Amino acid sequence: MFRNSYDNDSVTYSPTGRLFQVEYALEAIKQGSAVVGLVSKTHAVVVALKRNAEELGSYQKKIIKVDNHLGVALAGLAPDARVLSNFLRQQAMSSQMVYKRPLAVSRAVYAIADKAQGNTQQYGRRPYGVGLLIIGHDEAGPHLYEFLPSGSALEYRGAAIGARSQAARTYLEKKFDTFPDLSLEELIVEGLNALRDTLAQDKELTLKNTSIAYVGKDTPFTLLDDDKVVDWLAKLDGVSRKSNPRPTGGEEAAEGTTTEGEPAAAGTTAAATDAPADAAPDADTMDTTE
Amino acid sequence: MEQSPINWGRPRDDIYGHYSDAISQAPNTHSLPKKHTQQPTVTGSSVIGIKFDKGVIVAADTLASYGSLARFDNMDRLTQVGDSTIVGIGGDVSDMQYVQRLLEELEIEENYDNSGDQSLHSENIFNYLSKVYYNRRSKMDPLWNAVLVGGVDSKDEPFLSHVDLLGVTFSSPALATGFGAYLALPLLRQLVPYPDSYKNVTEADARAMVEKCMKVLFYRDARSIDKYDVATITKGNVKIEKDIKCKDQNWRFAEDIRGYGRTTS
Amino acid sequence: MSSIGTGYDLSNSVFSPDGRNFQVEYASKAVENGSTSIAIKCKDGVVFALEKIVTSKLLVPGANQRIQTVDKHIGVVYSGLVPDGRHMVSRGRSEAYNWRSTYKQAIPVDSFADRLGSYTQAYTLYNSVRPFGIATILGGVDEDGPHLFMIEPSGSFWGYHGAAAGKGRQTAKNELEKLDLPNISARDAVNEAARIIYLAHEDTKDKEFELEISWVSASETGGKHQHISAEHLAEAKKFAEQATSDEDDMEE
Repeated sequence: MFRNSYDNDSVTYSPTGRLFQVEYALEAIKQGSAVVGLVSKTHAVVVALKRNAEELGSYQKKIIKVDNHLGVALAGLAPDARVLSNFLRQQAMSSQMVYKRPLAVSRAVYAIADKAQGNTQQYGRRPYGVGLLIIGHDEAGPHLYEFLPSGSALEYRGAAIGARSQAARTYLEKKFDTFPDLSLEELIVEGLNALRDTLAQDKELTLKNTSIAYVGKDTPFTLLDDDKVVDWLAKLDGVSRKSNPRPTGGEEAAEGTTTEGEPAAAGTTAAATDAPADAAPDADTMDTTE
Repeated sequence: MEQSPINWGRPRDDIYGHYSDAISQAPNTHSLPKKHTQQPTVTGSSVIGIKFDKGVIVAADTLASYGSLARFDNMDRLTQVGDSTIVGIGGDVSDMQYVQRLLEELEIEENYDNSGDQSLHSENIFNYLSKVYYNRRSKMDPLWNAVLVGGVDSKDEPFLSHVDLLGVTFSSPALATGFGAYLALPLLRQLVPYPDSYKNVTEADARAMVEKCMKVLFYRDARSIDKYDVATITKGNVKIEKDIKCKDQNWRFAEDIRGYGRTTS
Repeated sequence: MSSIGTGYDLSNSVFSPDGRNFQVEYASKAVENGSTSIAIKCKDGVVFALEKIVTSKLLVPGANQRIQTVDKHIGVVYSGLVPDGRHMVSRGRSEAYNWRSTYKQAIPVDSFADRLGSYTQAYTLYNSVRPFGIATILGGVDEDGPHLFMIEPSGSFWGYHGAAAGKGRQTAKNELEKLDLPNISARDAVNEAARIIYLAHEDTKDKEFELEISWVSASETGGKHQHISAEHLAEAKKFAEQATSDEDDMEE
């Protein structure tokens, strides 16, 4: 009866000023498989882990090209991502049609962020149930943005969303200082390293479950799947998750209460960069189901 | 005679009976049909432009005519948009002012949240304008102008293009609208006969030719005035000089031509 | 908060028996928890400053700007739900645009505050929407000089010499009151704004933050609203760090 009654729609604030429906939508992202994004001075890269619902089914696409200089990777409800990326394609076409120039990445991101905000303030709508990592290249260089159903859009040097993505973030936080000067090839490998950290103990990156996309100056948005990722997977070092070993057995650790944007080391630069390799297990607190 | 233009061209009532509006589902025929602009009212004359090795010069006089009346002699017809483009507009002045407001709004919006990931180059402004003009002509309600867009494009190359009330676009190292197309263009083309010729033209040469053209236009275009603005756009720099007078005028030739000056047969 | 759970707080646009609109009050809670934003009206302009908590060190430093421009001459900053703030700014831009197409001139700042105030208020009237979870601070320079306003989630707004919203507003207000407003110069106001944000941040000292400052001033920016340059920002930061550490010394 007195269950939380402030969480039935997105037009009701809780007494503390929270919007539970929006917060729940953010949880939907964590139901999706992980995607990782990162940028150097010249390129932006996303890598994604694909899932198939059943053995005979195909793998769900995780990366969608929007324009020659722009694409998105999704975690959460794929149909919502299709709606958003179709909208982005229209925006990109319109920019090309009216102004004869590619849509700036920030404009693209804020266009969907503002759209998403509308769904959190109007009755009879639901927030989008998907998070996106958007990569693109414009006059200012390569960009990586994170889009959230709350209508938030932030630019990152490296980001990861989706199931068990905290492990990837931990990896990125450890290594992001080196990203600006990496070559495209090294950047992709770092992305795959981070993505691999999100895998459950018995899983590996394979040509079937891995997607890679990149974009840069004079490098149009390129999406690699299946056979085309084989060579990239070969570049990973042989030892699985070397950078982030897990304690065996402790796999089903207590469900974490940590939420997005609250890395343990926020604020203390030294603590995170110098963290010992085994400092990551508390990252592994998320749902392990596929 | 039938005096009301509304009824011109219609079947005669005394022969065919009164026309029933219902037949054609037309709105009642006794009101004037909706009319769009069919001629300009207050007009500006020529705009001329020429590329040189490092940029573009655009010029236009400051006269706004009402028919053959020289109505306003201080009309600015060159507008700066962004930091590397000049838009010069001829034709209907109220339509020009409308377009100038569109361009101001374009610039305002461009500056929102601008963190250097996008800038408004000449070709972007030109493309936008060409869509505006083509859209309006497709609604059969044209903006009655001829426009030159001059500046520096995203590759830092000189840019010069033309769009008019029909949405027709054209590009060349020398362009002129209105009477300028007949009187100034041949002179400008002496400097830039081929698409790449402008690479060998200095700013001083281009400038001298523009001044010559403006003088010729004043001699022979009755809707012109001997006061004009000149904009010079080079990479990272837009210079607008206002109210330049045509120099060294010599009307000696007029004496030998019928219609000018002295009334002799 | 004795009326919580009695059912009158579950829907917007509903009065409780004692005449309160709880959903609006809850929206104000979202504002109070938001990061601190302030604005100072100075001699010939307005200075805006914002504390941005760095939620992840993966964020691109200096990106993700949150003070925005409306038309040419108006700046807007807000505390609370950031996406709501962007919505408000979008609305503000259409208001300014509509004003321009009607009157062929820039919107006066007080009319602008009026329009956004009405818009905010409309979101307290219907159960199909929720109130804005932001306090909107807007200011600019028009023909009559500089103006500064702050709009609350209820839609009520006042003019200010110095305005503050968000977590550190109390500290900020105390500091703003000590300034000689509006007689301060725009450059001094930038320094003071930086100092106040640093001071207001002391309560949440464990979290890293970024400082963002913009201004609109007749003398300094030609009446246009823009962010201060990177060098100027560094200068202001230095001033703020110096000033706040002096203060610490005095306490000890």
